[in-house]
Amino acid sequence: MQASLFITCYNDTLFPETGKAVARLLERLGVKLDFSCRQTCCGQMHANTGFRGEAFSQAKRFVRLYQDTETVVVPSSSCVAMIREQYQGLFEELGSDSLREDFAALLPRVFELSEFLVDRLGVDDVGSYFPHRVAYHASCHGVRALHLGDRPFRLLGKVRGLELVQIPNADRCCGFGGTFSVKNAEVSSAMLAAKLQDVVSARAEVCTALDNSCLMHMGGAMHRQFVGMRTMHLAEILACTETSPEVQS
Amino acid sequence: MTTSASARQRILKSIRVSTSAIAAVNPSEESKAHAPLAEAYIRHGKLDRTTCLQLMIERLREYEAEVVECSPEQLGATIKDKLLASGKRTFVVPAGLPGAWRAAGFDWMIDDGHGAGRGLAANEIEKTEGVVTASFCGVADSGTIILHHSAQEGRRVLTLLPDWHLCILLASHVVETLPEYFDRCAQPPTLATYISGPSATADIEMTRIKGVHGPRFLHVILARDEPKVN
Amino acid sequence: MSAQQPRSLPEHEHAELDPRLAPPFPQAALRVLRNPQLRKNVAHAIDVIETKRGKLVAEKTDWQALREAASAIRNQALEHLDSYLEEFEKNCTAAGGTVHWAADADEARGLILDLLRQENAREVIKIKTMTSVEIQLNPFLERSGVEVYETDLAEIILQLGDEEPSHIVVPALHINRSQVREIFARRMGLEHLSDDPKELTNAARAYLRSKFLAIPTAISGANFLIAETGGVVVVESEGNGRMCLTLPQTMITIVGIEKVLPRFQDLEVMLQLLARSATGERMNPYTSLWTGVTPGDGPQRFHVVLLDNGRSSILKKPVERQTLKCIRCAACMNACPVYRQTGGHAYGSVYPGPIGAILTPQLMKMEFAQSLPYASSLCGACYEVCPVKINIPEVLLELRSQVVDQERKKTSRIFDPMYLGLRIANLLFAQAWCFHLAQRMGRIGLRLFTRKDGWIHSLPSVGGKWTQTRDLRGFPQQTFHEWWAERVKETK
Repeated sequence: MQASLFITCYNDTLFPETGKAVARLLERLGVKLDFSCRQTCCGQMHANTGFRGEAFSQAKRFVRLYQDTETVVVPSSSCVAMIREQYQGLFEELGSDSLREDFAALLPRVFELSEFLVDRLGVDDVGSYFPHRVAYHASCHGVRALHLGDRPFRLLGKVRGLELVQIPNADRCCGFGGTFSVKNAEVSSAMLAAKLQDVVSARAEVCTALDNSCLMHMGGAMHRQFVGMRTMHLAEILACTETSPEVQS
Repeated sequence: MTTSASARQRILKSIRVSTSAIAAVNPSEESKAHAPLAEAYIRHGKLDRTTCLQLMIERLREYEAEVVECSPEQLGATIKDKLLASGKRTFVVPAGLPGAWRAAGFDWMIDDGHGAGRGLAANEIEKTEGVVTASFCGVADSGTIILHHSAQEGRRVLTLLPDWHLCILLASHVVETLPEYFDRCAQPPTLATYISGPSATADIEMTRIKGVHGPRFLHVILARDEPKVN
Repeated sequence: MSAQQPRSLPEHEHAELDPRLAPPFPQAALRVLRNPQLRKNVAHAIDVIETKRGKLVAEKTDWQALREAASAIRNQALEHLDSYLEEFEKNCTAAGGTVHWAADADEARGLILDLLRQENAREVIKIKTMTSVEIQLNPFLERSGVEVYETDLAEIILQLGDEEPSHIVVPALHINRSQVREIFARRMGLEHLSDDPKELTNAARAYLRSKFLAIPTAISGANFLIAETGGVVVVESEGNGRMCLTLPQTMITIVGIEKVLPRFQDLEVMLQLLARSATGERMNPYTSLWTGVTPGDGPQRFHVVLLDNGRSSILKKPVERQTLKCIRCAACMNACPVYRQTGGHAYGSVYPGPIGAILTPQLMKMEFAQSLPYASSLCGACYEVCPVKINIPEVLLELRSQVVDQERKKTSRIFDPMYLGLRIANLLFAQAWCFHLAQRMGRIGLRLFTRKDGWIHSLPSVGGKWTQTRDLRGFPQQTFHEWWAERVKETK
């Protein structure tokens, strides 16, 4: 099984450990992973802020980069949602027939990480060991755009030593929303404050999710307030085994 | 041309720019005006009659309406009992209400607003203490009583001003789902009132308070005019 | 007991909800966020409705099929809006009603005033209708010498308390019981009134009863118009609607052109969805349907004012058209995590919440309220609950691109750090080497701001909006692609 990793612009810059964890995990599962250093961004930030022409050029670049790839794995549900929900409209408005065709052919081969593991590899037990109390934050794109359903829970359920706890009001947005977090910083912070009340009440050591965007928003506030909880991308938990425990950066 | 007529022209013209553009893109039969739409939602109930009637009663009681059942033969007597229990004396009824339902020993004001007779003035109805009417239909799923304001149900004001409403509902007029009510309408009613519990407001801190306007007390007699099915 | 004094109203009574005058959403929201009482009131109200709604939706096994049907019905109505409006007009007129058309708010107000003058009406009783707030009807009528008496409990609270609606179904949800008590005690002269909601409601009931029986002219909105029959449908809880629809001599109903349904039977779908979505009930207490004029029963003079006010323009746009499917249930604002924190006034619009964020800028022809499409984290909860399946996030994104296209034409854009930042980022993303260079420069530049623990506590400019409440992890020493390139080299 071959797969190409689309790390996403913000993971590349801010969360390389997530990419390292994805590499470790997939290679452990026998996937031949490659990575193109020509990748940059999927265009979500621009599309969601109203810069459609700019988003189009990034989207086109993405398609051209991966059009001959067997499979693309993306450790970010919001980026996959961008590709699934908005690329078509952008290409209809601004693209050529050939671009639309190439995209249509590529789309079924793009997977968010938990989708890749559960649907493509057909596994939920990936051999992980992580003896900690963990709360899972269901990011909005994962829930409502990708309909990930119970995939993350199935994966977490098979992690040895892991105690999974529920976050109340799990489906409620954390308030990140991309550029919303700065364009409407105060409202974003109010939503975050409400979310943290729920997350903290779960009394977990670690809050995990499939999106570092939500985690950096919640984790940033928890760090500011000296809350005794840390954030980790799900890939980093799944990468841990008895012999290869968590790498403290 | 009046402002309204000129506005009408402008508005329809503006709308037609859009609707004709849509039609050009999508000329399928399905998109024509009045084309019937596919229905995947539930139209017919699955409950047997006994359970359906029980549900109707349960829903009415959830609204704090008081419900009693009786056989058709007992209807007159049951009505009289209800009137006595209310402690009230003066009631208004629509002229079309069966005479047998106007129990003796009470003051009856008859409203004939729809017919050749006299419709009572609002301040006359205000002086009555309660109203008795029939009903068109009951919908068990939502505990809704439907009035089409026929001669037996009366003008709309009758079931609005008095504080106490006794409504006769025939079991054979109870359906389970709202679509089944629509099936019962041979044609659409000109006037209709759908009553699901006494009036309520939740405008103050979402605390549901009964009885803002309209009758605060709703009593229903369910007359079991259907053969009992085991 | 003091009689209600006519209020002298400033020119823009609804300034708080006038998109032409209201401050941008981030500014307006900030004021509200510093009001814990209001935030508590809003959250409480929402929790009550949402809990009830959730239970009933779970119990309705055909909920998704109903949504699908409702969406199809509303689409069909919009796709043939002209035919259905003409059909409604024909049938309503045949039944004794008079149908008027108003292209904009000005025309609608003038038309209604003319009708009132024909009746020599100096007073009107009114059923709550957001459409009348949209056209700022009340202040106009009051200036023209007509006393307007709102009859919905929430509307009385707002009217007597000189407040603005903050929600389209529960307009006074931002006001708690002791605040209501204070308003009623002051304006109704009831010094010994407690704050028990039951007593407050009784006070309103008594206050209004005399008005219902005395005032012969009423103004209402409508939830639906039925093309097939010329019927009008009003959905309510309190019974004041029935009072206004039944007792007066003259009824004037103002309604947006988009509210028409093709058939009477369409109500079997719409009514199942509306009450569950709006108030978390299987059915609201009273639904009234009437057709034109019925001799001897109800108003003998009935006027419908069909209002355009920007709706036919929205109809023209393929993505935005779905905005007009709205049946004003407010489920979207109850589900919205943004609305939950800010309440309705922050939107500076008669229609708040997610629907307001897409409807208001469009009604304003994108000349005002440009901050509203950004008043969302795009979480999608609104779309999930919308009974007629309006893809609100899709419309938000479309409107955002229109706002940006407006910005592109302004010279002031070069001073907007957000605008510049995004334009530059796009250039960087076009070439991997540019992106990588920017990452390296960023890593070096941010060292200044990175503390010993590897975190950034404070940033200037746009970054400061992040760091005012959140820390930011400092840029790691190595990007992922640098690590990968190194690994590749090592294995060779």
